[in-house]
Amino acid sequence: MALLKNRDQETLYSSASCAVELTGVSKQYGQKEAVAPLSLSIDPGERVAFLGPSGGGKTTLLRLLSGQLETSTGTIMLCHRDLTTMPTGHEVSQLVGMIHQQFDLVPNLSALQNALAGQLGEWSLLKSLVSLVWPLNRGIGLSALARVGVEGIAYQRAGSLSGGEQQRVAIARLLVQDPQVILADEPVSSLDPARAGEVLQLLVGIAEEAGKTLVASMHSVELAREHFSRLIGLRNGVVIFDSPSHEVTEDMLHDLYDLQGLRAEA
Amino acid sequence: MTTIEGTSRPTATRFTWPRVTFIRFSMITMMVLIAASWVFVLNADGAQSHSIFSMHTVNRFKDFLSDLLGIGSSSTPAFAQWSEWRLTGHLAYQTLAMSVLAIGFAAIFALTFFMFGARNMMMGDMAPYSSWFWRAVFFLVRGLFVVTRAIPELIWAMLIIFVLSPGLLPGAVALGLHNAGILGKLSSEIVEGLDQRPIQALRSTGAGRFQVMVYGVLPQALPRFVTYLFYRWEVIIRTAIVVGFVSAGVLGTEFRLSMSYFHFTTVALLLIWYLILVLSVDITASYLRRLAR
Amino acid sequence: MTSMTSRDSAQKPKLLESRRVLTLILLAAFIWSLLNLDWTSGFIHSGGISAMGEFASALFSLDLSTDTLTTAISASWTTVAYAVAGLTLALLIGIPLGAIGSGVLTKSSWVKVSSTGVTRFTLAFFRSIHELVWAWLFVAAIGLSPIAAVLALAIPYGGILGRIYAELLQDVPEAPLQSLRSTGASEWRVFWYGRLPMALPDMLSYTFYRLECGIRSAAIMSFVGLGGLGHELRIALDDLAYQQVWTYLLFLIGLVVIVDVWSTMVRRRLSE
Repeated sequence: MALLKNRDQETLYSSASCAVELTGVSKQYGQKEAVAPLSLSIDPGERVAFLGPSGGGKTTLLRLLSGQLETSTGTIMLCHRDLTTMPTGHEVSQLVGMIHQQFDLVPNLSALQNALAGQLGEWSLLKSLVSLVWPLNRGIGLSALARVGVEGIAYQRAGSLSGGEQQRVAIARLLVQDPQVILADEPVSSLDPARAGEVLQLLVGIAEEAGKTLVASMHSVELAREHFSRLIGLRNGVVIFDSPSHEVTEDMLHDLYDLQGLRAEA
Repeated sequence: MTTIEGTSRPTATRFTWPRVTFIRFSMITMMVLIAASWVFVLNADGAQSHSIFSMHTVNRFKDFLSDLLGIGSSSTPAFAQWSEWRLTGHLAYQTLAMSVLAIGFAAIFALTFFMFGARNMMMGDMAPYSSWFWRAVFFLVRGLFVVTRAIPELIWAMLIIFVLSPGLLPGAVALGLHNAGILGKLSSEIVEGLDQRPIQALRSTGAGRFQVMVYGVLPQALPRFVTYLFYRWEVIIRTAIVVGFVSAGVLGTEFRLSMSYFHFTTVALLLIWYLILVLSVDITASYLRRLAR
Repeated sequence: MTSMTSRDSAQKPKLLESRRVLTLILLAAFIWSLLNLDWTSGFIHSGGISAMGEFASALFSLDLSTDTLTTAISASWTTVAYAVAGLTLALLIGIPLGAIGSGVLTKSSWVKVSSTGVTRFTLAFFRSIHELVWAWLFVAAIGLSPIAAVLALAIPYGGILGRIYAELLQDVPEAPLQSLRSTGASEWRVFWYGRLPMALPDMLSYTFYRLECGIRSAAIMSFVGLGGLGHELRIALDDLAYQQVWTYLLFLIGLVVIVDVWSTMVRRRLSE
């Protein structure tokens, strides 16, 4: 797997990647079970998409994988390391990075500053302060922005960018952060269909190029089918199906999104 | 069926007093207070207050006004003398400097502490390693804001004058301290009202708590902070004359002296400078505020 | 992979962006103010540090004698009375002037412009002068009387209230008012039954906030000898009776906190 180097010869990202293993993982809020106990295994470099109706547990599962939420039961292993035992946010961030549907960026900062934020875990407090006024380590930030195609707006306020541009900057930040596993929570749901396809293509392309594991929750079934090799259907926190994308049938999807059934279960 | 996807913990039910009863209770209390206050004010010191509404008072008032304007006095009024204008103008200049110094102190204080006074930063989501320590810090900082705010500037000045020698500094510190609490509280409220999502996204990049504050919270809070800064500056310039009563070298000092020597035309001149200062600050602040956008 | 933007090379960061200019101005202003300090003579009073120490330690030997407590309570009441009376008078000034100044009562242009202009100017003048200065002027004019304190508080507060009321009345959404007008209501009725009730919660809310400020203002009125917590504080300070000073200070803080908490609770319920 080739390493990408920019003009300053700074390594943009490494090619290592991780396996993700969930064993008996569940999440409960009081009486409500957001995620029923499930076990899952994702190989390094695999591209997996969670599908399912809203409230079905996709976002919760991703947040569990990112370490933002604690599991009620079960363990999550990333690169054969137990997520819960990692002491600092910095260690976790080296293994897993996340991109959300929107509002990922600090609107008052420039695109470049937002992209460079991926390295915040490695910077001292002083460096962070200085970078607010005069961004340090520009090179890697500009390269990342170039890789996602938005280097022209590097110094523009992130809040003034379009939805598609903002998502690209968020991806650039992921590049700078360089985690082993990329999580994406409905990354293109706020974009119009044309942009959505482009941005998703970019994300998947980068993951493939660097051989990183990509786990996403997707709203659009067509896009998921097109770009992901494995689809997992989640509904009310339970896995309905888990198969390679070309083997997913209309019937399976119908079961997954069956509205009447949902209402009955409510 | 409500979806709880994306929430981190269920909200507890809060006990609140029945709304209508509390407001009604407050209104009744207010009515009672108002009545009692007026009774007190009109009857204090025996019947003295009643004599206020008399011709005698009106004449005194007229006399005072003519004293201010220098009517019927033999000497030239202060506001007709250029030398007086220059002298008092220098005092006005000093007062302006004191006001800027004061708002500077207040801003430094507020910027240092405001993130520790924000509920969402200190407790809850932002603090996965939350400990009693940070909670204690939160309450300490909030308490600091309350106490510095509760003590009026003049009283701060009266206390500070024991420690600092007279000049611009005690007034500036007194004004700064009082406004530090106000600015601090306002700034913490800005932070509490911020969109949490970019901040949480920053956490996922591995940034530490303080880095998130610096990189994520500060840039978003600054624009509104600057608005509050200018608003408080406008208040400070009006209070600067009052603080001068116990300080030295500013407009208020001369005001107090002139009042005690009954140099009313000087008082009038000082009032003119005072109004000039207030107007200038208001105009400058509204112009600079636009730069912040 | 196509570039999203037509510009192929990144724009240079703008150096003279307005926010940077502002930051520079603010920093320069602060440094200028520092330069105006008298750096030659010492800042700390000789004996100032020891005075500070004495003062701090006096907190632990608080003066809670009956005499002091009674004085504190009666002074607190005086302060509250001045504040409440002053604020009610301020309402009498602020509501009418605010209503006229908002321009919602008049329609024809020259009447509107002149009335709003005059009232706005008056309100601005009232609130330009600090209440203590008003107090001093009133005491010089009509003597040491509680009325002087009440007036001195009412005028600037009336100015502040009036300005805020004017803005709140203006900010009322037009749609419900239009439907009122379409039922044939006169302009005056639209104001009484539509605009005022809609603006009232916010107006009340702000007034309660001003009450808290009023307590503090009333406390310092006493500087001119008008009685209240500030007066007692000054006497105690002059006597160097630090323990007493603490008692009065704590009463003052307590008073402000009580009113603050009460006003916050009322305001929260008003905005629900």
